[in-house]
Amino acid sequence: MKTLAKLAGSAMIAGAMVAGAAMAQDKQSITTVVKITGEGWFVRMDEGVKAFDADNEAIDAVQVGPAQADAAQQARIIEDLVAKGVSAIAVVPMDPAALEGVLRRAQARGIKVIAHEGDSIVNADADIEAFDNAAFGRKINDGLAECMGGEGKWTSFVGSLGSLTHNIWADAGAESAAANHPGMELVAAKNESFNDANKAYDKAKEILRAYPDIKGFQGSSAIDVIGIGRAVEEAGLVGKVCVYGLGLPKDTGPYLESGAVNRIYFWDPKDAGYVMNVVAAKVLAGEEIADGADLGVPGYNAVTVTQGPGKGIIIQGAAWVDVGKDEYKNYPF
Amino acid sequence: MIKTADRQTVFLALINVIVLVAGALLAGANFVDSYNLQVMAAQVPELGLLALGVALAMISGNGGIDLSGIALANLAGITAFLVASRILPPGDAPMAFSWTFAGIALCVGLAGGLINGLMIAYTGLTPLIATLGTQLLFTGIAVWLTNGSSVSLGYIPPLDDFGNLPVLGVPLCFALFVLIAGLIGYLLRFTPFGVKLMLLGSNEKAARYGGIPVKRMIVITYAICGILASVAGIVIASRAGSVKWDYGSSYVLIAILIAVLGGVKPEGGYGRVLCVLLAATALQMLSSLFNFLGISNFFRDLAWGVLLLALLASARVDLSYWFRPAR
Repeated sequence: MKTLAKLAGSAMIAGAMVAGAAMAQDKQSITTVVKITGEGWFVRMDEGVKAFDADNEAIDAVQVGPAQADAAQQARIIEDLVAKGVSAIAVVPMDPAALEGVLRRAQARGIKVIAHEGDSIVNADADIEAFDNAAFGRKINDGLAECMGGEGKWTSFVGSLGSLTHNIWADAGAESAAANHPGMELVAAKNESFNDANKAYDKAKEILRAYPDIKGFQGSSAIDVIGIGRAVEEAGLVGKVCVYGLGLPKDTGPYLESGAVNRIYFWDPKDAGYVMNVVAAKVLAGEEIADGADLGVPGYNAVTVTQGPGKGIIIQGAAWVDVGKDEYKNYPF
Repeated sequence: MIKTADRQTVFLALINVIVLVAGALLAGANFVDSYNLQVMAAQVPELGLLALGVALAMISGNGGIDLSGIALANLAGITAFLVASRILPPGDAPMAFSWTFAGIALCVGLAGGLINGLMIAYTGLTPLIATLGTQLLFTGIAVWLTNGSSVSLGYIPPLDDFGNLPVLGVPLCFALFVLIAGLIGYLLRFTPFGVKLMLLGSNEKAARYGGIPVKRMIVITYAICGILASVAGIVIASRAGSVKWDYGSSYVLIAILIAVLGGVKPEGGYGRVLCVLLAATALQMLSSLFNFLGISNFFRDLAWGVLLLALLASARVDLSYWFRPAR
């Protein structure tokens, strides 16, 4: 009798825990694994995955991710998905190196692997990069040059001298300015903000003191423009100094409104989420993605395809978005 | 006391069975096929070894806990790889490299554990503070050695096999984990060391007056914790194929959860290895089940909380009273 009571009690608890769970389905399934659940960037990515799911009856597409930003948790989720037997996994790796083992096992089980922002991954069928980094840096600098009228002193910010992409953007911007606008003079290049808006603010204040006639700033970390914008606002230089750089619409909104930041550049995670699933579906169908292919997503209409570090390919779009005061509200993240 | 202990074992075993059955019903046959069972088993050791370390520290009493486990595991993996790959390149003799790697990792683990033990035993620091300090120390050294980026081991067949290959249906790393758990279980139950450790945890003053070498016991206990952490580090390196200072940063609290779920008394003096093992497998299966069903990882944390509360309740409330048929 005691055992029965224990069984009943335990069964109730177990029942409560699994209540509301859905039955697994058997149609083709693509699971997108992100770095962390609930963060603005990946909530926006989820919209893209959901849109793909709605557009494709035959494919089940969902997004999952760990509750903590930990490479170990991400690896565990993928490991379970491999055992579950999904058709394809699209992953935004927390730490590409930490996933190589589990992704190799996934491929050995016949599961297709698509990565995003992980061009060093060996065990993937395809990796998707939103754009060519040098072109992105030139694009930001073109905007800055236009605002400055091609003349005057300007400087650049990077998250840190160790972050590869930031340095490519800043260097490409500097090259473009030197080649196309001889009137532009780069001073105190590549200030480090350490991905901290307060440090960017302090650095920008120093620069405004050291170069009172400075005309332009190019930011690289998403918070650079916020710190610079604040310094420009406080110095009463809104409209006199041009601020351009990577930024997120919601965070930078107030500075775009006040005019302290002129224009921000980024890529839309919604499109990235959608296009990862498009590529996964193509790989599953055995279709080859050739250079110049149109993936049917804005910014990925004529992609560049190159050979990756492993057997897979690297697909590169031109999926940057730039917004100013009037358009930033269209991107709620 | 014995009755409570048995009830706990039965309860934990039941949870394991229930989750497995629920998985088979809800997630389909895939959940209970041999591949998934192997995958789940291979995922247990990382956390299970750390939880055993926490359990040992807790049993030793005096607010014993080991927060530095995962940091030491990562440091052991990083140091071992950096040193071993300098002594002999992994490509030339993979097997010899793997053994060298494991040997160095164990040495680092032992050293780290000894630092913890000596600090707690001889400087009188609270274990919580001491291991928090060494956690930062170990992490700091690991960041310094690697400049904060992950170090890829490349594909080293013997190490990869250890992390993933099933032999007679059982993944090697899980077999090693069970073996280690068995050794520690034996140590706690049938050796003078185990008996003394339980006494020390129950009442330190009485233990000291009873002639138990308190300081030496504490140093040995934390040294074992360190070795367990380094084994976890070897498992992590072999399964992930890379080492990084912040891998498994969420493990600290989960390891403590497993130990408490396994009925180890946080105030010291009591704990059973079998229960810790069952708690680790239960949590693993539950977490895998949620991933199978696509349930949010936030809900998983909630479920673990419910499980912990249910377990604490089951040890104190006699459910049979409520389910007794009316006469």
